[in-house]
Order: sequence, then C-alpha cells, then structure tokens
Amino acid sequence: VFLTPVLILLYSYLRHDRNQCSYVKAVGRGLLALPAGAVVIALGATILGAPVGFEYVILPLRSLLMSLLTFVPAACVFGPSWSDWHRIFARTKENESTDYMISLPAHGAVIGAWFGAWPMPLDWESPWQEWPICVTYGTIAGYLVGLVASSGCIFFRNHQQHLKEE
Amino acid sequence: MSKSGEVQWKSENLGKRRWVFIVFLGILTLHGLAILVFTRGFLLTRTELSQFSHCSDIQQSPCFSPPQDDQMVNHSRVCWTKPAVDRIVIIILDALRYDFVAPSTFFEEKKPWMDRLQVLHKLASQPGSFAKIFKAIADPPTTSLQRLKGLTTGGLPTFIDVGNSFGAPAIVEDNLIYQMAKNGKRVVMMGDDTWVQLFPQHFNISHPFPSFNVKDLDTVDNGCIEHLFPYLYKEDWDVLIAHFLGVDHAGHIFGVDSPEMIEKLDQYNGLLEKVVDVLESQSGPGGLHENTLLLVMGDHGQTINGDHGGGAPEEVETSLFAMSLQKHPSSLPSETDSLSCRLDMEKRKICTSSIEQLDFAATVSALLGIPYPFGCIGRVNPELYALAAGSWNLDIFNPESGINLSTLERWMQNYVNVLCVNTWQVKRYIDVYSASSVIGFSDKDMSHVSNLYAEAHDIWLYTKEAVLKCKSESESCSTLLPQLKKQVEAYSNFLSSIAALARSKWTEFNLKMMGAGLCILVLSLFVHIFTIKKLDKLCSCYLPRSGNFVVSFEAIFAYAAVLIRAFSFLSNSFILEEGKTASFLLATAGMLQLRHAIVKKKMLLEGLLFVLVVPLLRFGIELGQSKQAVNSLFLKSFASWTVSIDNGTNLWIYVADILPFLALVFLAYILYKSIRHCCCRGIFKYVVVGTIFTSSLIAMSWALDGNIFSPSAVIVDIKAYWIPRIIYVIGLLQLLLLAISQLCGKEKTSGWEEDTIVKATAMLSAWSSTIIILSGKQGPLVALAAVIQGWCIIRLMTLERGKNDCYESSTSYSSPVAKWSLLAVCLFFCTGHWCAFDGLRYAAAFVGFDEFSLVRQAALLTIDTFGFSHILPVMGLPLIVAACRRPEVQAEKRKQLFFLQLCQVYLMYGLIMAISMTLTIICVTIQRRHLMVWGLFAPKFVFDAVGLLLTDFFICFASLYYFK
Repeated sequence: VFLTPVLILLYSYLRHDRNQCSYVKAVGRGLLALPAGAVVIALGATILGAPVGFEYVILPLRSLLMSLLTFVPAACVFGPSWSDWHRIFARTKENESTDYMISLPAHGAVIGAWFGAWPMPLDWESPWQEWPICVTYGTIAGYLVGLVASSGCIFFRNHQQHLKEE
Repeated sequence: MSKSGEVQWKSENLGKRRWVFIVFLGILTLHGLAILVFTRGFLLTRTELSQFSHCSDIQQSPCFSPPQDDQMVNHSRVCWTKPAVDRIVIIILDALRYDFVAPSTFFEEKKPWMDRLQVLHKLASQPGSFAKIFKAIADPPTTSLQRLKGLTTGGLPTFIDVGNSFGAPAIVEDNLIYQMAKNGKRVVMMGDDTWVQLFPQHFNISHPFPSFNVKDLDTVDNGCIEHLFPYLYKEDWDVLIAHFLGVDHAGHIFGVDSPEMIEKLDQYNGLLEKVVDVLESQSGPGGLHENTLLLVMGDHGQTINGDHGGGAPEEVETSLFAMSLQKHPSSLPSETDSLSCRLDMEKRKICTSSIEQLDFAATVSALLGIPYPFGCIGRVNPELYALAAGSWNLDIFNPESGINLSTLERWMQNYVNVLCVNTWQVKRYIDVYSASSVIGFSDKDMSHVSNLYAEAHDIWLYTKEAVLKCKSESESCSTLLPQLKKQVEAYSNFLSSIAALARSKWTEFNLKMMGAGLCILVLSLFVHIFTIKKLDKLCSCYLPRSGNFVVSFEAIFAYAAVLIRAFSFLSNSFILEEGKTASFLLATAGMLQLRHAIVKKKMLLEGLLFVLVVPLLRFGIELGQSKQAVNSLFLKSFASWTVSIDNGTNLWIYVADILPFLALVFLAYILYKSIRHCCCRGIFKYVVVGTIFTSSLIAMSWALDGNIFSPSAVIVDIKAYWIPRIIYVIGLLQLLLLAISQLCGKEKTSGWEEDTIVKATAMLSAWSSTIIILSGKQGPLVALAAVIQGWCIIRLMTLERGKNDCYESSTSYSSPVAKWSLLAVCLFFCTGHWCAFDGLRYAAAFVGFDEFSLVRQAALLTIDTFGFSHILPVMGLPLIVAACRRPEVQAEKRKQLFFLQLCQVYLMYGLIMAISMTLTIICVTIQRRHLMVWGLFAPKFVFDAVGLLLTDFFICFASLYYFK
C-alpha cells in the first residue's frame, strides 16, 4: 500500500503533457492535486459514514491513495480547466483515448471503494475488516478493473477507427 | 372511443376517495392478516399468571395429607411435601456442556476438553456414595435469562412472556426463589447479576457481579470464589446459589476447543474439589452439612464455537451433578430404566441418567418441602428425588404401624404422594391458564389431558385405599407395590403429555403458519405492484406518451437501494448496523444527486445541503448506538464520539443547551413563513398558529428545566404536568379541527396543489409539536434536519423533472419515494431508537403523567417511537407530488391526474415498506435456529411488523384526509 504512491506518481508522469503546458508544471499540479483531492475524498468518506477521530490517522493515508488514483491523473492532464473536469467526471462522454484512461479507472476506484465498504459491519472478526483496509482493497480492485476496461475500450475504439479507415 | 370512455370512467372512479380508501384498507387487512398468521407460527407467546402457590392449597388436593396432618404440630415446616434435605448448594456453571462433565467414554472420541472435571467422576463412581451425573436437557431458547426463568418457574419461558412487567426483566410469576423466601428459606446468591435483575428482592444476601462484559473471563468467577468459601462455614442460609460465568465467556470469545477453556475447566475442577472437601468435612451427624444437597449444573450447553440460544443438541444438552451429603443407611431404590453405565478412563463404573430441566423446579421444591411454583409443569424426577430423599427417617411416614415394609415400598409410597401433589398442581395450572390466557390450549388437547388426569385419579383412589389398608392390616401389602407402580406410571403419563403439549405450544415454531403468513405477504406485494402498474396505464392516457420508456439511472438506483437494504436483513450484523446502512445509502443517493446537479449545472446548493445534512443524521445515529452499547451485549467502542462528549467542557454543554432552542425558533419561523406565503384559509391558519404557540410552550418548559430559575414547586408542577398536557390537548384539537374542515370542506376546482400543500403543512404541524415534546431535546434538531432533507429531496426531484418533461410512469417517482423512506429509517435511528425492546424510550411514555395507565402510556410510547419515522413521513408524502406542477394539462384533468399520482406515491411507499418487511420475515424464517434469534431477529421482526401496520394505517388515514 505504501509503495503504490511512488509507483503511480511515476505512472502519471508518463502521460501528463499531451496538452499545452510544460512537464514540470504538470508535475507540480499533480502534487498539488494530491492533498486537495484527498480533502474532497475524506469529506465524501465522512459523509458516507467513516469514523472521525484523532486516532484514525489512516484515513488521510487512504484518501491520499484514492485521490492519487482518481484526481491526480486528471489534474496532470487537464489542469484547472473546469469544463474539462466537468466533462470527465460528470458527463462521461469520452472523446479521446486519454479520457478513457482517466475517467474509467477513476470511476472504477470510487465504485470499488463503495462496494468495499459492505463487508465492514459483518461479524467475522477477521483483521482485514477494520475500517480502512477493505475499502482500500476495494479501491485498488475497482481501479484495476477500470484500467482493464479502459484499455479494452481504447483497443476497441482504435479497432473501429481502423475499420473505418479501411 | 368507447374504450377511452371506459378508461375515463375508470380513472374518475379511481380518483375518488372511497375507492382509494378501500384499496389501502384492503392492503392494510392483507398485511395485518399476514403478520398475524406469521406471528402465530413464529412468536410463541405465553401469558404469565399472577397466582401463587400457598401452603394451605394442599387441602384442596385429593392427595395424602393424613401422614402430614399428624405431624403438622411438631414439624411446622412440613408444607406440601416432607422436606428431604435441609440445605442446598447450587453451583451453576454457565454453558456447561454435557461432555465437560460426562466421562469421555460416553462419546465416540476423546476431545481435549473432556475429562477435565475429574472430581465429579470420582464422586460419581464411588460405590455407596450418593452422587450421580445427569444429562440435563434444556428447552430452547437457550439463553441464560430464559433458562434461569425456566429453571426457577418450572415452566417454558418464551420470547415474549405477556405479563405485567413493563420493561423490567424481573419475574412476576410464581417461582422457586419466591417460594423459598416465603417459606422461610434464607437464600444467598453470588455471581451473575442476571439473578438480581430477575429477583430484585428475594435474596437475603447477594453478591452480584456484572455479566455483560464477555471478554472478562475471571471477575465473576473470582468474586464467586471469594464469597463462596466463607459461606460454606456459616449457618445463616438454607440455599446458596453461585453462578459462574467463566466457561460461557471463554466459549464466546475463544470457542470450546481452546487452551483458555481448558484452563477454566481445570480451575473449576480444583474449586469443586475444595467445595466437596469442605462440605464433607462437616457432614457428620450434627454437622453443618449433615443433610445438604450439592448440585453442580449448567443452565444450557454451547456449540463448539461457544454459541448458544437455539435448539441444537449441543446447546440443549447440559449436565447436572447431584450429590447428597447424607450418610444413608440403605441403598438407593434402583430405577434402571434411563440409566446407562460405562467404565471411564480409569476403569471406574459411572452411571448417568438424564433429566429434563423442566423438572428441576418441581424436584427442588419437593426436596425442600416448599410448594411447587404455580406455573410449574415439570414432574418430580424420581432419580434426583431418590438421591436425596432415599433415606429419610422412614418412621415419620409410618409412625406406629411397626410393619416392616421394604424400603422400596415405603419410598414408593412417598414418591407417589409427591407425584400426586405434583399432578394436581400441574392440572390446576393448566386449567387456570387455558381459562385466563389470551391464546389458550385447544379444546381437543384439553379434553385429552383431562381424560388422562381422570384416569390417574381413578387409580389414585384405589391406591389410596390400598395404602390405608396396608397400614392397618399387613396382609394386603403384597398388592401394594404393583399398585404403586401403576400409579406412578399413570401420573408420569399425564405429566409427560402435559409437557409435550406445552412444548408444542411454547417452544416449537409452526412452520405451516409461518409459510402461510409469508405467502400472504408476497401476495400483497403482487397486489401492490399490480395496482401501481394499472395506475401507470391510467396516468399515461392523460399525457402525451413520450414513447420511449427510458428507465433512468436514478430509478435504477432507487430500486437497487431498496433491494440492497432489504437483502441486508439476511445478516445479523447488518441488522445491528441498520441505521448506518440506511445513512450510507442515503448519502450515496445524495452524492449521485449532487453529481446529477453538477451535470445539469443548477441546484448545486440543494444538493450540497442534502449531502451535508446526512452526516448530522449519522451523528445522531451513532449517539443512539453509543447509548445502546452501554446496556447491551454488543459492546463496542464508539470511542471517537463518546470521548469527545465525555470530555465536553462547559462550552459543549452550553451549546447543547442552546441548540434545541435555536432549532425550535427556526422551525417556528419556517411555519410562520409558510403561513405568510400561501394565502391560507381560516382553519388551517389557526392550526399552524397553534403549533407555533405550542413550540413556544415547549421552549418555555425547557427553559424552566435549566438551572436559570430557582425551581419552586408550582413551576415544577407546571413544567412537568401542565405544559405537556396542554400540548397534547392542542394537538388533539388541531386534528379535530382538520377533521371538521375536511367534513365541511368547500369544493374548489382550482389550485389542487396549493390546497394539498396547505393541508399537508397543517397536518404535519399538528403532529409535530406532540412528537417533539415526547422526543425531548433532540426533537427539534431532528425535526429541522428532516425538514431540510425533505425540502432538498423535493427540490432535487423537480430538477430532475425539469429536463425530460414529465413522462408519467411510476419510475419518475420511485427515486424520491425511495429516498423519502431511507430518510424515514434514518430518522428512526437518529432519534435514539433501535430495534430492541430496551431501545424503547420508556421515559417518553411518562411525559406529563406520573401514574400508569396502559392505553395512554402505550399511545404516547408509540407516538414517540414511530412519530418521526412513520407518522410524519407518511403525512408529508403528498408534498412530493404537489411540488411537481404540470401547467400544460387542463385543470379538470389535472385534478384527476394529481390524485392518481398521489395514490401511486402512497402505494409505492407502502410497497417499499412491505418489501423490507417480507425480507425480514424470510430472514427470520431462515435464521430461526440462529444464535441471535431472540436477541436480534425477533425484536427486529416485531418492530418492522408494528411499523408496517402503522404505516398502512396512516396511509389509510391520509387517503381519507387528502383525497376528495
């Protein structure tokens, strides 16, 4: 869990500057989006019923991870343009393959986290049922599914485009 | 054309009040029937009788009193039977499995937890000792409370014992401990504090220790041990009860197959050895324990995982070890029918037999010579009775005859007499019970039982003669023994048939009835869906069909949410966390809505507000749960919230004091604005003004509650009695006014929506003040949250509607209605309730009244419990429909359409409730042998059933009120 930030930060570097701005600027934006997204996610989690307290230091860690998976890539690519954000996260009408790459894993992560919360109240008393753990697993699983789906979509799209061209 | 005309006619009819009312009434009866039938099969109830047995009652029995009458003078303690032992030491080891006690050779293979209580084996195998191991068979529910009740009353306690106790668990029935206390036996108790709850004032001395902390294996046991040994040397008691909890707790936490459990058993082995040593050392003639009986027993068994509560063999089979410290001159009368003997690991011969726990109370009463508890239906167990009573001074029985009857015969004579008294008492109880209880026994069973009794009685007449004859002339005694045996058989026959009857009545689920109830409920679901679809069709002919039936994402989510919630009832942990689950779903709905709003780029504020109020509701739910945690088994640390409250400084208290006032003022302001806003007509206006007035009264009473004023008697009086009463009266008046206005309402053709809004507001305000004062200071806060949430739901619904212009299918309403019901569930938990009987706020029933009257207090309690979650949402539901206006349809049609939709919305709300009820029932049926049936599922079932019926009832009421 702790290795993933580094991994994914690197991962997001690879596809940041499709647009106009420079490489360094995009990295900076990504780093900035990390805590900002974490705050938003933490807020959302609290609304959904996460316990709030000083002893839950793991909560910020988890929301950092989630924001990493959802917000950072988007921030890297789009920067502060509201309309693009709006297009990606709300309307889900994809135009380019980058859109797929960002929006599907992000949605996957959120939905995975949502489903990850379900086994929490069960009384199996296993250690992974503690508050942030299974949600985190759900997040990662959802993200991976989203990744697969997005690559599948991109492949499908390219295939179609090839067909059209032919 | 004719077809459309027909449709027109139909829909006109359907909009009519009477028709709607009949539909809802039909659904109400259907639900009522389903629940009634299911309950008859599932919730076994027993009526507690308040009669007590008295010593003098024996005169009415046909049994032998002569031998006792002779001795009455010099043996003043002789009551129903001759006492056989003077003192009893009862050591209860909670959840003592049978295989903890019995030698491992009785079982197929040896497990590590077997053969740990070696001392019992040793005692039971000693030739000539009066010790024996019994397999005691308990009756479900095998929870400690019910078992203790069963052991002491000699009956079969069910989940709900209908009785006079209103919340308190104390036993009001006649019971063993009461009889002991009444007949001069001094009872000492130590250990599990459940005993003290059950018998608050019967013990001479008690040393209770808290029992609910399951993780604590030693506190209760150490406390017991500390107090037990000093008492063994004292003589100021007759009955000593020591209840150890270690095995039960070790089972719950670690399971049976664990080193902790074995450690506990080894500890008990040492303990019992010491106890026996102490007792034996003083059991000589004239010693303290010359005539003492030691009983080591479990109240129920446990499964390998340490669970108990159901009726599985492992849970039901517990053990009883009995040992009489008397030095008997003669050997036991052998009764080998249920005896089984085997060699144990060390080649000692150990005999065991079995006993019903039902028989415990009767046997102990007979041994102590006290009257049997009135509700006891057990029979005096011959082996246990023989163990202790085998060798009393037989001269008492046959003082001057001087004839040498064999020991066996004399024992039999006495036992027959005991059984006779036993039988007579059981018959008396059954007669009284079937005469006085709500649901008695069937006539067929009763006549069967009476026949058996009459048979036994006939034989008794012969036996009595034979015994008397035998006393006077020795020749006839040869026929006595077969006669006695026959008599015992007849009595046993009667008693066992009584026990079987009682079991079928009180401990066995009636699966047929349960299935029938379930079927009826499912049928009602179909009726619901069918009606909704039909109304759908009717609606659609009013409006231009948009053709494509796009099921919106929102609607899908609504269905999913309802289904998820319903299916979550299949697991006990989700029922435990039901409030949180509901708020989770509500928050998810809110977030989706917010996302939707972002997409549409409007009404962002409402969406945000909606989402932000949810955590407030959750805060309320967690507060409620932390209250629950204090007095329930499911102790969990809600550390974060409770700590912050405990550390609360003055500021916190101050804020907590001032917040309700602010909320109240705000509510009143909203009401005021709503009057100003709509051009309100007479009566409705007065109603709303009345509510504002009452809310100021509430504020006043709370202000008086604070420490601001020095409370004089008059003010306290006003505060505690008059203000609540005035509020109740005003509430009733408001309802009456509304009814009157409904009866002589003028016909108005335009503005149906406004009219309904006004009506709904008036209705809500009429109810709200009563509910708020009942639910205390959290009331206005919750009410405010509810108002905000409701408003947001309505606003957001219109947002959704704005785009795809009112294609009128049921799906468009399903999402707001689902949210509405989720909100209602949240409100239920938010007001500090939960689905358990200790979750009822009994204090609310006494707001404004001190003295108890069943009807009034029950009404207040119902309003408090279901007010926020059932009454208000149902009454407010028309607001959803009224908020959506369709200007494009002409007025006359609009009216029709409006009422059709209103009807539809109510149907949908009912459907949602019914679905969750159905799943609850299914789950209760599946889990009927589950550990938590009586702790969790059954209360949930009761709450849901009452909630559903109330909802149906109020829907009927609302249909009368809103429809024209």
